[in-house]
Amino acid sequence: MTTDLNQFPELDKTKFEQRGIQLEIGVPVTCAVSIGNNIAAGFGDGTVRIFSSREKHKTLKAHKGVILCMSRDGNNILTGGDDGYFLKISLNGEINEITNFGSRWVDHVAAYNGNLVCSSGKVVYYWDKNKKEPKSLNHDSTIGGLAFDAKGRRLAVSRYGGVTIWKKDYSNKWKSTKLDWKGSHNKVSFSPDGKYLVTSMQENVLRCWRLKDKLDFAMSGYGSKVKSFAFISDTSYLATSGAIDAICWPFDGEGPMGRKPICLSYIGNKQVTFIEPFPDEKAIFAGLSDGSVFLSQIENENNTIIIRSFTGSEVSAIAMTDDKSSIFIGDMNGNTLWTSIWDQ
Amino acid sequence: MEETNRQVPVTVLTGFLGAGKTTLLNRILTEQHGKKYAVIVNEFGEQGIDNDLVVDADEEVFEMNNGCICCTVRGDLIRILSGLMKRADKLDAIIVETTGLADPAPVAQTFFVDQDVANKTKLDAIVTVADAVHLSSQIEDHHEAEEQIAFGDVILLNKIDLVKDENIEVVTKRIRKINPFAKIIKTTKCGTPLKEILNLDAFSLKRILEVEPDFLESDHDHEHDDDVTSLSFVSDTPLDMEKFQNWFGKLLQTKGQDIMRTKGILNFKDENDRYVFQGVHMLMDASPMGKWPENKKRSSRLVFIGRNLDTMNLKEGFEACKSE
Repeated sequence: MTTDLNQFPELDKTKFEQRGIQLEIGVPVTCAVSIGNNIAAGFGDGTVRIFSSREKHKTLKAHKGVILCMSRDGNNILTGGDDGYFLKISLNGEINEITNFGSRWVDHVAAYNGNLVCSSGKVVYYWDKNKKEPKSLNHDSTIGGLAFDAKGRRLAVSRYGGVTIWKKDYSNKWKSTKLDWKGSHNKVSFSPDGKYLVTSMQENVLRCWRLKDKLDFAMSGYGSKVKSFAFISDTSYLATSGAIDAICWPFDGEGPMGRKPICLSYIGNKQVTFIEPFPDEKAIFAGLSDGSVFLSQIENENNTIIIRSFTGSEVSAIAMTDDKSSIFIGDMNGNTLWTSIWDQ
Repeated sequence: MEETNRQVPVTVLTGFLGAGKTTLLNRILTEQHGKKYAVIVNEFGEQGIDNDLVVDADEEVFEMNNGCICCTVRGDLIRILSGLMKRADKLDAIIVETTGLADPAPVAQTFFVDQDVANKTKLDAIVTVADAVHLSSQIEDHHEAEEQIAFGDVILLNKIDLVKDENIEVVTKRIRKINPFAKIIKTTKCGTPLKEILNLDAFSLKRILEVEPDFLESDHDHEHDDDVTSLSFVSDTPLDMEKFQNWFGKLLQTKGQDIMRTKGILNFKDENDRYVFQGVHMLMDASPMGKWPENKKRSSRLVFIGRNLDTMNLKEGFEACKSE
């Protein structure tokens, strides 16, 4: 029990906290993804916890160190750790080692339709679902992020100096094209419609390329590094962390150039540290540096509700189940909330 | 909550090839019983390291897009430090060993530039291991050896058992010419009490007040124009704050590449507080640090370490900042 939580009487808890399950695990929550109507969360001590509806959660000892990254692969999850292991874990707790790189960290993982990808240092390893041995895709500098496009045809790899986009040609050979921009690029994502590619940079800025003509532009004005961003599923907006408001750039029509973003705010002046879209809605969950989380409609700011109140530690993971019934929230002190969204 | 807000101290071990960095590292790891350390090494490390938590790093130096050409940082360190901060067990300290040919500036600048790194860790000190036998020739032949001396908070002059006393004097003088405020410790096999090299808090402004550097008389004679030297200035006349800020700001902007380290305590006219600053190239940390002590003379002191200092009219610039 942290001292901060003690100061807050039961009455100040949101209805979501009152009806949900709150845990104080005491270890940073590093990542979380949905698998159907379950949520898998990764922790700084190498454990994975699987939260299922109305059931007790299951704890699996998966890695020996920090779980650095996680991705969904059908009914399994993929995890990479600072112990060098790349693992596949099933919902019922079966753990399979895909590979292990020894003292080299597995920094990023991704999957599409059974094809698995991870990065360690400067190399991306790609396991075709029909093959046993991975294909190595080499880069000149350490990889900052990985992302498939919505159809799984292109794989974007961010790095120092820009992004490399990998694609198999008609003869099944890997071909790459480069998008260059000076500086260190971290998280990378295609827009759901495949028209744009966005990276967050070491500086407090996002870089975006319109892929049809490689026109590039910056989205700037942030008070801190943009660690989390997400497209709304119809590519109408890109919602981003890194400021006191959740900054939502319009991506409909001709894109965000020359247009103002919508800034969703919440009482107080805490930085937004995590963004998770509400599936199929123009709405987002925004997690703040003090642990609180709000849900807001992008085009109707008055429609904002507080999901979780202050915990004193920055929100580091939010995930919603596929049926949109329940949500998981975790922070850097290991305070978690697992709750249903709808009133019974 | 205090525990999570504690910044983990980071010690940077630098030094030319073969000087004894790994010896010192293993000494730290074996002597500090019951402490949890993470060691970040480069993949070309010379010998084995005896620790549970060793992280391999590629020294990836890159420029920040902030319009400042000398503002280079270690991208790999940002990634590794933020990963280490997610661990369940709290670390007592982190030690970064650089390659023998590394410039220490990007390591130090990483702690100024990245907000997440600065929030969760703090640069404790740069410890430079120098080979007493070969240092003089290394300084002549490799600018990296000179830079490592220039950036050191502590310089371990190692292998003194292999050098005659008078030659130790010569090497010590050479070090002092480059860096007058580093603490020099003479060792054999890096044998020194660990309190001399760990938890020094050398980059905190408070520490600059506690251990006032030797503000030596300026020494202008040197052989090459690109030698690293130091210059220091002392004045009892109060300074004009606006004049000083204009001069110093412009100086770092235009000459920041050549100015490696700066430190100073400043006495401004009509100000009750002491102003303390320290910087690495163009990046600077500065703050008022409380009132001048009653029993102490109010005087401004300023030290520069860098190349081509004699072309910067530092003395004239400093003189012009005086309020009378």
